[in-house]
Amino acid sequence: MKMTVDRDITLKMAKAAQLRVEPEQVEKMMNSINDILDFCALVGDLDCSGVPDFMWRMRKLPSRRPDVPKDWPDREIFESKAPTFEGEFFKTPRIMAEG
Amino acid sequence: MARQIVIGLEVHLQLLTKTKLFCSCSAEYIGHTPNSNVCPICLAVPGTLPLLNDGAVALASRLGLGLHCTIQNYSTFGRKNYFYADLAKAYQITQYELPVATKGYLDIELGGASKRVRIHHLHLEEDAGKLVHPTADGRLTGAAYSLVDYNRGGVPLSEVVSEPDMSSPAEAKEYVMRLRQLARYLDVSDGEMESGSLRVDANISLTNADGTLGTRVEIKNMNSLKALERALEYEISRQNKVLDSGGRIVQETRLWDDAEGVTRSMRNKETASDYRYYPEMDLAPIVISDSEIEGYRQSMPELPQEKRLRFAQSFGLSGEEIAILTEQKALADYYEATVSAGAPTARAANWIRMEVLRVLNELGQDISEFRVKPDALAGLVKKIEQGDISSTIGKDLLDLMAREDLTLDEAVKRLGAPQGRLSGDALRELASRIVSSQPDVAETIKNGLDKKGGKIKFLQGLVMKEARGQADPNEVAGCLSELLGS
Ligand SMILES: [Zn+2]
Repeated sequence: MKMTVDRDITLKMAKAAQLRVEPEQVEKMMNSINDILDFCALVGDLDCSGVPDFMWRMRKLPSRRPDVPKDWPDREIFESKAPTFEGEFFKTPRIMAEG
Repeated sequence: MARQIVIGLEVHLQLLTKTKLFCSCSAEYIGHTPNSNVCPICLAVPGTLPLLNDGAVALASRLGLGLHCTIQNYSTFGRKNYFYADLAKAYQITQYELPVATKGYLDIELGGASKRVRIHHLHLEEDAGKLVHPTADGRLTGAAYSLVDYNRGGVPLSEVVSEPDMSSPAEAKEYVMRLRQLARYLDVSDGEMESGSLRVDANISLTNADGTLGTRVEIKNMNSLKALERALEYEISRQNKVLDSGGRIVQETRLWDDAEGVTRSMRNKETASDYRYYPEMDLAPIVISDSEIEGYRQSMPELPQEKRLRFAQSFGLSGEEIAILTEQKALADYYEATVSAGAPTARAANWIRMEVLRVLNELGQDISEFRVKPDALAGLVKKIEQGDISSTIGKDLLDLMAREDLTLDEAVKRLGAPQGRLSGDALRELASRIVSSQPDVAETIKNGLDKKGGKIKFLQGLVMKEARGQADPNEVAGCLSELLGS
């Protein structure tokens, strides 16, 4: 069954995800979500009978590593790539919901 | 009929691994430069993949075995989604459907009675980072932005979930104390509530009049054992008041405010979290073979409860003495080593309980730092047992040995204490010295004017004091009467 979202639901989703969306961005976001839903509908048309709901992908690597510390050599990159950094801290918008 | 109290606890223990749960960053974070122990994995850089720390699996398994749980051959990770800046990925990797250990128990003791608290399960999960709020008073309200330190993000936690088997705040406190002791015995966690390496959330409800379970309330933010007890007591009286006045208990999460001594409702329905749990596809399930579990089992030390039982049987100590001596594994080991070095069991127990703990407390040390090693304490206790030195002197000697790192012999020399008891010529010489130092008193006695014997007693006291109690009072009296012809 194909689903779509309208403007209201898009705004509701943005609120639940604590995203700030400017009025002029709403339509673009709504269209993106509907594209995703279209794709889901397409996948939903596949015949999946007998296929398990979820499978872990096969991994050739070991599934555990020894408990041995290793420093990450290039710490500065985080600082330069982070949207905002202050002193030694990452800086984020203030916590919205409290109490 | 009084309503019954029903309490279940969720205890988070930070595991003592060297690295984080899913990356090779150091798991140490206290006292480190903010964001110094981070990497692309624990900062959730897109395209990175977590890889499970073998050490965390081992520690969680040990704790599971210590709690008499079944270690699962197959367990899985899931994602718990919530949006908060201390979580780099916006989800926490945890175990939800299939945890690593299930169905165990922990015995607690209260007022001499034993009670079994069932363990529902134990699972592995990652810790979050720490938020720093840059407002003058440190409170959230009014802060324009938040600062985040991700050093703690990804540190392994083991969450131990009990069944709702506790029926008083005191039992809840005792349960946390026994769990903490177990974790320390197993070197699984240091279990410090104040520093946050042990965190407790409580579920509490009161039964309805017909005995059925009431609505439960979750309480968070209790940072000490005292806070846990106070919060539960507050919540019991709050719920009783609500029910007495015909009200209904709302199922919710409440935060303990330690300064105000109250719990407060945390969030309303509007913002209530839907964690949208789903399987973590980036991590393979944890597969633990039977032989691996057997290996963990073989490496288990004696558990606190087993040790208490053995101490009662082998050393004939009282329940209270055993509880104190076995509270810390290192102290129990110290006691056993002292006994092995030849100290009598009862006196060694008494000395460690009263004197060693006193000195440690005064010096702010723990037993591993204590300079008086078990064989030295055994030497001291033996001398006391044999009557070579008095308890009073023994205490002074122990102080010197501990504070100045002296051997027993050096301490004896420093204190100027006589080596062993004074008697014979040495005692006569001391008595004579005392008599000459008190010519008036001696004269009075010699002239037969000490009718009530007060003067001679005075001299006896001086001799005993000079001998630091290490002389036979009868022999002292004999020496003095010989010298004074009384
Ligand atoms: Zn890392």
